[in-house]
Amino acid sequence: MTTDWHLDPGLIEQYETGALEPSRIMAVEAHLLACADCRARIPADDAWLTDNWSAVYDDIHAPRLGPLQRLLTRAGLPEHRLRLLTATPALRWSWLLATAAVLMLAVAAARLGADGSLLVGQAFLVLAPILPVIAVSGAYGPPADPMHEITGTTPAAGPALVLWRAVSVIGVAVLMSTVAAVLLPGPGWYSVAWLLPALLLCTGTLALATVLSLPVAAGVLGGLWLAGVLAATGTSDDLAVAAMFGPTAQLAYLLSAALAAAVLIQRRRRFDLGESR
Amino acid sequence: MRRRRQRPIPPVSEQSSDAELLRAVAAGQTAALRLLHHRHAGWLRARLRRRCADPDVVDAAIQDTFVAVWKDAHRYEETSADAAAWLWTIAVRRLLSTLRGPAHRWLSGPADELPDVATTPSAEELVLLGVEHGALGPALDRLSPELRRLIEATALDGLSVREAAKLLGIPEGTAKTRLMRARTRLRELLT
Repeated sequence: MTTDWHLDPGLIEQYETGALEPSRIMAVEAHLLACADCRARIPADDAWLTDNWSAVYDDIHAPRLGPLQRLLTRAGLPEHRLRLLTATPALRWSWLLATAAVLMLAVAAARLGADGSLLVGQAFLVLAPILPVIAVSGAYGPPADPMHEITGTTPAAGPALVLWRAVSVIGVAVLMSTVAAVLLPGPGWYSVAWLLPALLLCTGTLALATVLSLPVAAGVLGGLWLAGVLAATGTSDDLAVAAMFGPTAQLAYLLSAALAAAVLIQRRRRFDLGESR
Repeated sequence: MRRRRQRPIPPVSEQSSDAELLRAVAAGQTAALRLLHHRHAGWLRARLRRRCADPDVVDAAIQDTFVAVWKDAHRYEETSADAAAWLWTIAVRRLLSTLRGPAHRWLSGPADELPDVATTPSAEELVLLGVEHGALGPALDRLSPELRRLIEATALDGLSVREAAKLLGIPEGTAKTRLMRARTRLRELLT
């Protein structure tokens, strides 16, 4: 569609300053859509054009999200949290690989050694609750993260950052342990019996981290757990496992975990990542 | 419809048509998007500024527009519409979503999908092309501003009544009644 009428510089200037009467504005706009020559006649500010283009260019060349990150975004995790959790690939890979290696060794040992499989299963039951704790204390903080001092000075530092990181680490560690537990031979309930102790140890570690530094808290609770289990196993074998992971004990773990969570909520202000005090 | 997907895309230049540029953009050529941006950003800016007084919002809308074009240029062929009209529909909707989006744009996720819209010129648009000469111009000028803005948003910008209501910041029901009143009033003025 062409018309015999075209825009002239005066009209364009009036249009841009808003000095035209409404009907002529509409006429100009309708004509702009239909006429490429008049579109080109609208003066463009070169500096502005370059700026705007570089913004577009940066945007389309921004790194793309991976499939896992897109899935998490779809699940409702805000993008800036995602950025925060995925910003430290070096730290992430170290504990991810370590946890995977430990679990694979456990599964391999249990599958290969047929006669000692029950023993390995019990050993897994004892060690599995500690894995997430080791992961959370080892993944971030002074020994692992050379940037922790810089991180500590940012506005994002504080309980929220520690908890977000802890949740991500514990979530993945628990997922991996669950897979290993299902693969392990042994009584069926073995594969879930370690979950509540793990919950207790994780929340307990975080609660204790309001007093001690995170690695120390993890070491203390992990040591207590190991010592307790070893002491119980020292008396008699099968009975001890039943006692440590029986219904009564599980209920006790759950209650203690709730208690630890309450302490954590109460004392959350006193909490920061790995700083010794 | 021709299938160009398999054939290699010819290199683009200043003389390429909009459709050729969009095809090259769909094939992933940044240079084509740059040409398209330099050809269209100017008038889109001038026109968007008549809709929104905040230059930052307008700039953001134009950036979003070309990012959307980069992602969805392959959908252009399907609509087989005029490229300028297609760009304008995207731009005015980007402006809308920028206006109603959260204040922290850089924290929120990417904007929603490109809407499927027909960009064939409406009857009103065709009439508006002749507004310079006919009796429609004076009639439009005599319309009250809030009625005229609705005609502008629906007939000229190609927005739906709901989107027009959002742009003007009024409830959808109000927009519907105003649009009806505007059409009746125009008919009175023209007869």
